[in-house]
Amino acid sequence: MTDRLQAPAFPAEVERQLEGASPCEIALGVLTYNNATTVPTVVEVVRTGLERHFAGIPAVLINADAGSSDATPDLLAAAGLPLVRARHETPLAQRIAVPFHGVPGRGAALRLTFAVARRLGARALVLLEADVTSAGAEWLRHLLRPVLEQKADLVVPVYARHRYDGTLTNLVLAPLVRALFGRRLHQPLAGAAALSARLLDRLLDDPRWPAPGQNQTDLWIEATAIVDGFAVWEAWLGRRRAESRTRTADLPTMVAQAVGGLFAVMGRYDDLWLEIRGSEPVPATDAPVIPSVEPVALDVDRMVDAFRRGLRDLGAIWEHILAPETLGDVLSLDTASPARLAFPDELWARVVYDFALGYHYNVVYRDHLLRSLVPLYLGRTAAFVVATRDRDAGAAEAHLDAVGAAFERHKRYLVERWR
Amino acid sequence: MSRRLTARDWYKDAVFYEVHVKAFMDGNGDGVGDFVGLTERLDYLAELGVDCLWVLPMYASPLRDDGYDIADFYAVHPAYGTLEEFQKFLDAAHARDLRVITDLVMNHTSDQHPWFQASRSDPTGPYADYYVWSGTNRRYADARVIFVDAEASNWTWDPRRNAYYLHRFFSHQPDLNYDNPAVRRRMLDVMRFWLDRGLDGFRCDAVPYLVEREGTSCENLPETHAVLKEFRAVIDREYGGDRVLLAEANQWPEDVRAYFGDGDEFHMAFHFPLMPRLYLALRLEERRPIVDIYTHTPPIPPACQWGLFLRNHDELTLEMVTNEERAFMYYAYAQDPEMKLNLGIRRRLAPLLDNDGRRIELLNSLLLTLPGSPIVYYGDEIGMGDNVYLGDRDGVRTPMQWSRDRNAGFSTAEEGQLYLPVIADPVYGYQAVNVAAQARQPASLLNTMKRLIAARRTSPVFGRGTIEFLRPRNQKVLACLRRYGRETVLIVANLSGAPQPAELDLGEFAGIRPVEILGGTVFPPIQVTPYLVSVGPHGFYWFRLERPGDADEPYGIESTAI
Repeated sequence: MTDRLQAPAFPAEVERQLEGASPCEIALGVLTYNNATTVPTVVEVVRTGLERHFAGIPAVLINADAGSSDATPDLLAAAGLPLVRARHETPLAQRIAVPFHGVPGRGAALRLTFAVARRLGARALVLLEADVTSAGAEWLRHLLRPVLEQKADLVVPVYARHRYDGTLTNLVLAPLVRALFGRRLHQPLAGAAALSARLLDRLLDDPRWPAPGQNQTDLWIEATAIVDGFAVWEAWLGRRRAESRTRTADLPTMVAQAVGGLFAVMGRYDDLWLEIRGSEPVPATDAPVIPSVEPVALDVDRMVDAFRRGLRDLGAIWEHILAPETLGDVLSLDTASPARLAFPDELWARVVYDFALGYHYNVVYRDHLLRSLVPLYLGRTAAFVVATRDRDAGAAEAHLDAVGAAFERHKRYLVERWR
Repeated sequence: MSRRLTARDWYKDAVFYEVHVKAFMDGNGDGVGDFVGLTERLDYLAELGVDCLWVLPMYASPLRDDGYDIADFYAVHPAYGTLEEFQKFLDAAHARDLRVITDLVMNHTSDQHPWFQASRSDPTGPYADYYVWSGTNRRYADARVIFVDAEASNWTWDPRRNAYYLHRFFSHQPDLNYDNPAVRRRMLDVMRFWLDRGLDGFRCDAVPYLVEREGTSCENLPETHAVLKEFRAVIDREYGGDRVLLAEANQWPEDVRAYFGDGDEFHMAFHFPLMPRLYLALRLEERRPIVDIYTHTPPIPPACQWGLFLRNHDELTLEMVTNEERAFMYYAYAQDPEMKLNLGIRRRLAPLLDNDGRRIELLNSLLLTLPGSPIVYYGDEIGMGDNVYLGDRDGVRTPMQWSRDRNAGFSTAEEGQLYLPVIADPVYGYQAVNVAAQARQPASLLNTMKRLIAARRTSPVFGRGTIEFLRPRNQKVLACLRRYGRETVLIVANLSGAPQPAELDLGEFAGIRPVEILGGTVFPPIQVTPYLVSVGPHGFYWFRLERPGDADEPYGIESTAI
């Protein structure tokens, strides 16, 4: 029996729209869910971006909507572009508690969008986030040009950030992606992206499209692109500011969803990473933007308190997840003084690998496992801030690079324990 | 080295364990404990959960004062092993995340020490001024005699030098002359010798007496503090600031306070007056003695710490109580005259408390929760007994009781070869009280101690927090709040042998559900009205008070974490 999936049969309503649609070279995908207050910004970016940089090139806007109850889909029509509207199936749980990326059923929405784009003959698809209000017309150029003109297959944005933005990305996701797939992607879950027709075909043709509801799709796309030799690029964009009333802001939920998504990808697609050694940087369209370092309101003491509470309360769970030596080393960390908290990179790599292994072997209920990572992540984040707050942006970058290098160096630890 | 307690002020969170090499484990079967044996038993100490071992004097010595009469600062007493075996012990301890400090007797040496032999033989030689010599025994007449049961004077005539020498302790322990810069240099060299081997610090014996001045008590003099500050500065400079100096200054807290300086003298000092007051409070069944002594305990610099203990290798000293209190203590705890020594009571913890498990656990609970770093005396974690019929303080220095095997599992030597007989009475004897048996009983004192120490390790509030006594009307109940950062712990202890209710004013914590730390039980929420608790006979609670909203405050990274 094969689990190969047929290219999705479009819903009748979408099929009707496609029958009358003209072919396009550029497809612009916008995944929405109750984003009426912010989609006008997206419309403006699409309109001005195409006018300014891709004038005369046939384009179509694809809106995959998760069942908005506001006027989101209607507002997108104001872009003045051919528009394909596609409602997609959304897991009920994700409509009640919207995931960190803001789109219930994001995987299904992506698949539908990809299929529409190829049906219309698009050479490139750019995905834009419906609740990002800081996007500019230049973003379209940065994302699409490498695909249209430089044979890039996947362009992932790197947003200009503060050095303490994206701590989960910087301390967990990016180091893990670097070690697993051998590419130093800065922001693996950046939300936006541009994809080539070649890559879209490859993905649509893949029999192992991720199951819905597990937040795996973006990471699976990146992993597939990297491992299959597609040209993966990064585009340095400006600041990303999202205005969402629906995305979860609950840290444990975010950690569980994002890290759980990556762990799930590791489990389902271990053929994509078990053999990979080392890593390479990713080509970029522009020069990197130095992270900003202005003071921000971080409560390191509270992070350390949470870490201490974890040490105090979660030992029984961690005993199942962490290797005895890892647990011993974690319990030995000196948390008495937040100002001196240190969390060695090698230990942090082993912690994350042990959690990945625990998830893989299902040693405890997976949601509990993922949530019990939170105090450790807060402790590691506090240690990162403590180590770099009196130093410049370069020191923070170097610190994070060392974290990634440690994950890479200790990948053998993970591989040897993975069956 | 340990990743736990790696902060420079690690001693503030540590639980110390006082151990005598000769008493812990005999590794070579000669009847005397040694470093080989102690090394074998490090796993036991690591499992107990202590962080730092305080090793009583292990230097070459005629042992007329159990090693506090040092004859060679650079050598291990042959009965305890070799320098190499000491080094192996130290490395093995460090490998188990255990730190080690040793006793260092700074005030005096043995009269067998080569310095003293040279000093008495040659009044003009290089060692002539290493000790305090006088043609009369009337100098420093205001200095008290400390060992009143053994010495009549602080001076002893030396016929070889034809002069008196000063000794604040036994006459075979001549006082070093710290006015002599050479003595200070030599003592620093001694410290360097051991610190270079990785030792984590010293428990400095009898520090108030280093310098003498006419017309004073010759205790706590500014000149003594100057010497000690000089030593501290050198050690900090040369060893990176994480070695600890613990002062033995048997003084009132306001006098001991000076030994912390401005955080530039001792890191730690024993809180001597607290110990008798814990026993007093228990006998009187009221909290006043404990609350009072804290009222009279001055604040200390942030990097400093009190050392707390219930019992140690000396007598339970009653120097720091009033005459009335002393009389009561003798009545309550030492009705047999054999139990008294100097101004104290030479008994171990369990016999002092009539082997009453509840009271033993209660005092240990107080030891682990009052402000300071607790020091457990070897054997008290299993409730070992004593033998008051042995001389001096030997009754509390008997072999550790490991099992019901011959010699309590301490040694394979013939019984008569042991340095002291094991405790063999029906109540405290090794066949009834030993590690092996208690390890197998979940509710044994040993396992209770492990649980208490482990609970203490879960939070820095115990070692670093402030203390604030609550004032419930029921005087038999001691209740205090310990706060550090966002953490607050409420300690409640019933000092009486009957169940007691207490109404606690916890209005500021209204809405919080106290969580009892040792059992994890969630108690009913606190209201603005007084919080009623009932505590069983000699029972105690350690409550964690956490506000329900605590977890909802932002860390500042949520909106950008991904």
